Amino acid sequence: MARKIPMSLVLFGVLALASFAALFWQSRLITVQLGDASILTGYTLFVTILLLGMFNARKKLSMIPLGRARTWLIFHVVLGVFALALFWLHTGGIWPLGLYEQLLAGSFYLVSASGVFGYLLQKALPSRLTHTGIEIIYDRIPAEIAEIRERAETLVIECTKETGSETVAQHYVGTLFWYFQKPRFLFAHLFGGDAAGFWLRGPGSAARRYLNDVEKKLFDEILDLAALKAHVDRHYVCQGVMKKWLFLHIPLAVSVVTLAVWHLILVNVYVL
Amino acid sequence: MERPQRWSTPFGPDMSDADITSLFERDDIAAIDIDRFPKHTPLEGVLRNDTRIVRYRSGDIVVREGDYGNSAFLVLKGNLRVVLAPKLPQSMLGRQNAKKKGFFEALSQLWTNSTIPEVRNLSGYEQQGLRGSSDSPDARVFLQDVPVVLNNHRTAMLREGSLFGELAALGRVPRTATIFSEDDAVLLEIRWQGLRELRKYDQGWRRKIDQRYRESALKNHLQESSMFARLDDTTLNAVADKVLFETYGAFDWNVSFQRLRERGSSQEAPLAKQGDYPDGLLMIRAGFARVSVQHGTGDRTITYLGAGDHFGLGELYAAWKNPDIEDMAMKTSISALGYVDVLRVPAPILEEHVFPFMDPPADTLMELAEHPVSDDALMEWAVEERFVNATRAMVIDLEKCVRCDDCVRACASTHGGNPRFRRHGKSSENLMVANACMHCTDPVCMIGCPTGAIHRSLQSGSVIINDMTCIGCATCANSCPYSNISMVAIRDSNDRPITDPESQKPIMKATKCDYCEGQPGGPACVRACPHDALKRVDFHDYNPTGSM
Repeated sequence: MARKIPMSLVLFGVLALASFAALFWQSRLITVQLGDASILTGYTLFVTILLLGMFNARKKLSMIPLGRARTWLIFHVVLGVFALALFWLHTGGIWPLGLYEQLLAGSFYLVSASGVFGYLLQKALPSRLTHTGIEIIYDRIPAEIAEIRERAETLVIECTKETGSETVAQHYVGTLFWYFQKPRFLFAHLFGGDAAGFWLRGPGSAARRYLNDVEKKLFDEILDLAALKAHVDRHYVCQGVMKKWLFLHIPLAVSVVTLAVWHLILVNVYVL
Repeated sequence: MERPQRWSTPFGPDMSDADITSLFERDDIAAIDIDRFPKHTPLEGVLRNDTRIVRYRSGDIVVREGDYGNSAFLVLKGNLRVVLAPKLPQSMLGRQNAKKKGFFEALSQLWTNSTIPEVRNLSGYEQQGLRGSSDSPDARVFLQDVPVVLNNHRTAMLREGSLFGELAALGRVPRTATIFSEDDAVLLEIRWQGLRELRKYDQGWRRKIDQRYRESALKNHLQESSMFARLDDTTLNAVADKVLFETYGAFDWNVSFQRLRERGSSQEAPLAKQGDYPDGLLMIRAGFARVSVQHGTGDRTITYLGAGDHFGLGELYAAWKNPDIEDMAMKTSISALGYVDVLRVPAPILEEHVFPFMDPPADTLMELAEHPVSDDALMEWAVEERFVNATRAMVIDLEKCVRCDDCVRACASTHGGNPRFRRHGKSSENLMVANACMHCTDPVCMIGCPTGAIHRSLQSGSVIINDMTCIGCATCANSCPYSNISMVAIRDSNDRPITDPESQKPIMKATKCDYCEGQPGGPACVRACPHDALKRVDFHDYNPTGSM
């Protein structure tokens, strides 16, 4: 079912477009009058960057009524696109000439790219997690994996005791222990692949043909635990990426603000 | 292990033979005809197992207005006072004074929130009129200056032999008045099971209880329904006289629900079955009922009914309108979801006073049954898990949730640094009902709180806990069928556990979501979600695919 376009997105989008059109027209006018339009576009861009940073401040100030974070996120996204267009208007091209300006531009592009990356991740990954059918709190994942491993090892010991055969134990030590040790097949989980399932159907269950009925029953229980762990691994990597991309985005944003402040000082001291 | 019996856990374990003998010597008990009680439920057994003798000191609050309770009281000795007007302030009742925080007060939480979990300022606890601790059976809130209360408030006296609290106990409705002990008093507290037996087997008690209900609440209840709104007082009284009171399921359904859920089974008391002949309109007074229709080899839930809803009108109307049609059986079944209290209005009453003046009712139930089964999956799940009890369930759309925990952090930021819910819970498809207080329509957690610390806010309707008068007995946490109340050990500002000086046991407090009572801007969790994934919903109005 198609999702409704939020009203705030339409409103902020129209406002951003109108603002950009007005700025573009004004900067052309200043240029035609042999003035320096970069002062107008530069200061506007600086204010825009500060406004973008306010979203993070909003998160820290949940105790006061500053509006819904949903509206703030939409504002942040629209403003981010606006800032990119304004950046090109300000620099007059995609890549500036001066070394410092190149550093500033590089940081700006990186923070923009990380923002787009994060936004897309947040759109794509939640449903991938939901489809695992389990829900787990990120901080609990190491304990959950340890618990699954312990249950698997209990089954291995039970199998050895019950049948007197070491086939399952040998396979566990030689192959499955690697899998149960820690999260595996992270890239496949992140990109929606089924490498873990493929591995479990192949090397992971290679010993099955050598087992008797009693061993097979217990071995299948171990494989069920392995399948459960694949879901936990998917949560580990997807939840981890959704949390950690901010460790890239926020420091980059701070560096852009810092570089922009210095850029502003330099411009005010030496150019104006 | 022996199968637990009806009286395996007596209400008052200290009821002695002497107590029972003295009770039988009283006129109000002696008047009961013991022969009418069946052998398996003798009156002596009811008194021994379903009642207890409670002693109150001067000023002790016996029941508070707005509280939920599962017992009634018979005054054995002493005088009690019912507060008529003006009402006692919330703080006197051991409740929280819900004051809306100002902007700067709310902002100050940014630096006043502690990094130490569950820190409390001890000085506040000393000013409470609180008697006893979590270990003592008579822990309660008391009025510190009874003469002043009597001077400033109009009250009515309850003397020896008075019975009170029976309507709230049997009808699952809030207590309508606050009653305190004027001097040292002795009361017989009768739990709802015992009260039910007394009403069932003794005509005197039944007459007394029913009469009081008919006088105090039934007429109002009937008038609230559009069907009876046009009736004049005399006709309404005539209708009220014919209405039958019925209760299905167990009052303490939460206990059996928890047990049955662990066993993966459920039992629901039927009110009416598909195919039965309709003999009266069922009006839900309290609790919930499931309406189902046979589908394949099972029963398919098509809707659920709560207080104010009714069942069977369509069939009764059709039977009256078309008396020649033979097949006038019920098209659907109805069963108690845990507990339901209904009024049965006999068909002849409707035929005489209601049907001639009303339009044919819409057959909405059968329309619902025509939907594909998959459309009802969410409701079926919500009914099965009893989430229908919620007025503000925290529902998270897992297809949108990025598991950022901004909601948890926002909750902590408005509760002294301690989150009051867990972003974890039962899921159906992409929806998860998180472990956050749902502020239930039927708040079973409020039953049995000895100090009334857990109560419904008069301002917002949220169920909140007054930390100052919570004695940490865990009655509420144990009663909550959804495990949404946590017991926490409190600490001082130096990160030292606060302990009881006598027993050295840690002081515990019950904590839960208070729906950001007193915080400006409403629930912080909802506002903090950047992806619109978290909502607080009443399942009756919830449509996850559209707007609420």
